[in-house]
Amino acid sequence: MAALIEAFGLAKHYLAARNLRQALRGERRVVRAVDGIDLLLEKGESVGLVGESGSGKTTVGRLLLKLTPLSAGQLSFEGDFLDRMDRARTQRFRQQAQLVFQNPFDALNPRFSIRRSLAEPLRNTGVDRAEHEPRIAEALRLVKLDDAKRHLEALPHQLSGGQLQRVVLARALVVKPVFLVADEPVSMLDVSVRAGILNLFRDLKERLSLTAFYISHDLTLVRYVCERTLVMYLGKVVEDGSTAEVIRRPAHPYTQALIKAVPRPDVDQPRESLPITGAIGDAANPLSGCRLRDRCPYAFAHCAEVEPPLVEIAPGHRAACHLHTKAIT
Amino acid sequence: MAELLTVLSNPPLKVRGSLLKVEDLAVAYRVDGINVHAVEGIDFAMQAGATLGLVGESGCGKTTLARALMGVLPTNARITRGKVWLDGVDLAALPEAERRAKLWRDLSFVPQTAMNALDPVYRLRDQMREVLCKRGGLWRSAADARAAELFSAVGLDPSRLMDYPHQFSGGMRQRAAIAMALALKPRLIIADEPVTALDVIVQRQVLDTIRGLSTDLGLSAIIVTHDISVVAYLCSIVAVMYAGRIVEFGPIDKVMREPAHPYTMGLMNASPDLERAGEDLVPIEGSPPSMVEPPPGCRFAERCPFALPACGEAQPPTMDVATDHRAACIRIDEVSDLRAQAREASTWRH
Repeated sequence: MAALIEAFGLAKHYLAARNLRQALRGERRVVRAVDGIDLLLEKGESVGLVGESGSGKTTVGRLLLKLTPLSAGQLSFEGDFLDRMDRARTQRFRQQAQLVFQNPFDALNPRFSIRRSLAEPLRNTGVDRAEHEPRIAEALRLVKLDDAKRHLEALPHQLSGGQLQRVVLARALVVKPVFLVADEPVSMLDVSVRAGILNLFRDLKERLSLTAFYISHDLTLVRYVCERTLVMYLGKVVEDGSTAEVIRRPAHPYTQALIKAVPRPDVDQPRESLPITGAIGDAANPLSGCRLRDRCPYAFAHCAEVEPPLVEIAPGHRAACHLHTKAIT
Repeated sequence: MAELLTVLSNPPLKVRGSLLKVEDLAVAYRVDGINVHAVEGIDFAMQAGATLGLVGESGCGKTTLARALMGVLPTNARITRGKVWLDGVDLAALPEAERRAKLWRDLSFVPQTAMNALDPVYRLRDQMREVLCKRGGLWRSAADARAAELFSAVGLDPSRLMDYPHQFSGGMRQRAAIAMALALKPRLIIADEPVTALDVIVQRQVLDTIRGLSTDLGLSAIIVTHDISVVAYLCSIVAVMYAGRIVEFGPIDKVMREPAHPYTMGLMNASPDLERAGEDLVPIEGSPPSMVEPPPGCRFAERCPFALPACGEAQPPTMDVATDHRAACIRIDEVSDLRAQAREASTWRH
C-alpha cells in the first residue's frame, strides 16, 4: 500500500494570553497543542485518534485538512507538501479531503434545503451543472437516506439528528473525496441512532476505499470503525497500534486507564479504581520528560529526565513509555 | 470514612415505605397554544438509599420528569396530573413558597454543566456559605468547617475552597456542584447527566465519587442519563423512558440481564461495549414519535420488531415481569422468546 499522508515532527503552537492584562501588554505564552508527531496514513486505511479534551486531537485533524498552518514539521498529501501547494493543487486538495462535522444540528445552513446544501460543494469544485442531480442522488443513496426525493426539499429542522448526520456525510461524499476526517461524528446522536451511523461509516470506507481519520474521545466507538488507533496525550502520540491490540494489550499506562475508565453496559463490570489520577496537564507548560508522569503510578526518576520515545514493543505496535524502553535497553 | 458519617444523615422516614413515590404524574408544555404532554402516566417508588437511573434518549422526557420532581419546570410547563410524595408530603400540591423551602434541604439538584450551578465571580467558599448560612442557618465558622468536610467527601482538597470556579477543571467543578448539593444533608439528590460533559477518566472519577457516597453513606439519588452503561455502573434500580413514559422499571441486574421491554432490548444491542469484541452494533431503525400528536397505542410500536396490530390501538398497561420488575408491553407473556429473537441482528432490520 502507498502512503496517502506522511507527517514528520508535526507541530502546532498557539500563542495565547492568560488574561487581559497580559494580552494588552503583548505577553503571550506558547500553547503546544500538537508538539511533534510523526504520522503515516496508508491509502484505504482507517485510523482512529483518541484522547481527552485538550490532548490536541482536533488540532491534528485541522492540520491534516490544511485548515490551519503548521508551526513546525512536514506534512505531505499524495507526496505534495501541504504548505507548498499552489492554488490549483490546493483547490484539488479541497475536493480530495473532506471533513465530517461533529454537530449535525449546526453543520448545515438552516435556510438551505438539503438539495442546496448538497449542491454547494459541487458548485464550489466546478462540477458541471448537469452532473449535480445524479451526483446528489448517488450521495444520498450511499448514506442510505431512504426516500431521498422527499428529503431533498426539506430544511434541516425537518429532519432527525440521525438523518442530518447522514446529510452531513453525504455532503462530504458528494465531491468524491479520497480522504475523510470525521471529528466526533456521533457524539451528538442518540445511542439507538449512533449504531446506524457507525455501521454506515464502516460500510462506506470499504465500498469507496476511502482513507479515513476518525477523531474521538471514546475508544469504544473507534473500535467499531478503525483498524488502527493512535492515542494522544498533551500534544504527543503515546501509543499506536492495531485497534484490537491496543484494546486487548494496551502498553501505555494512559491507554490502560482510558480503557478501564469506560463504563460498560454490564452490571458485573469491574469497578476497581483507576491507575491514573488527576486531570490533563497544561499544554502551555508541559512537564519535562514524560508528560504523564505526575498522574502515572509507575513513574520513576528517569521519567522526569528523558522524554520517552515512541518505540516498537511488538510488530506494528508502538508506545512511548520508559517501562518499555527500559525493557529493551 | 468515620469522620464523613456526618456528611449525610438519613433520618428515619416519617411515612413507612418509600422515600419517593410518584403517582400518575403528567407534565405538559404549552407550545403555540396547544398542550404537549412531555411526560405522562409516571408511576414509580424508590426506597431510601437507592440510586435510581432514569435512562432514555433525547426528547424522552427524562429531564422534564427530573425537573418536575424538583419543582423547577420552565415557565411554559406545568404538572397537569398526579402526585409526587417525598416522605409523605405531596410536593406537587405544595404552594410555591413551601416547595422552594424544601430545595437544598429535602432535595437538591446537580445540573449537567456544573458551571450552571456555580457563580463565576464568587469564591467557592462564599458560594458554600450562601447555601449553608442563608438556607441552613449556620454561622460562618460552622459553615466553613462544613464546607471543608463536604469538599473532602467528594475528593477535593478543602484548601481549594478559596478558588474561583474558573480555577477548577471540569471534573472538579462537577464535584464542587455535588458537594454543594449535599450541603444541607438532603434526603434525595437529583443529578441531570452529571458526567456527560466530562472526559472518560474524569467521568470515571466523578462516577466513583457518587458511588462512594451511595455505598458508604447511603445517599439516595436519581441519576438522569442517556447512557445505559453509566446506569449499569452506578445505579441499583433503573427506569427506562421512551417518548414520555416509563416503559420498564426494576432492579438494575434484572433489567440488564433479562430486559422485558423490546426498547430496552434494542438499547442494549445498540450500546457500544469494549469487551464484546467483534460484535456489530445493532441500531433501532426510525426515530421516536412526535409528542405533539403521539400515536394512540404503544409509542414504540412503529420501531418495534415485535409489534402486533393490537399494539397500535391502545396504550399497553404496565405489567409485572417479576418482583419489583415491570414493563409496559402486551407481549410480556412471551418475553423469553422475544429476548432470544432480539439478540439476533436480523430481527431489527425492517
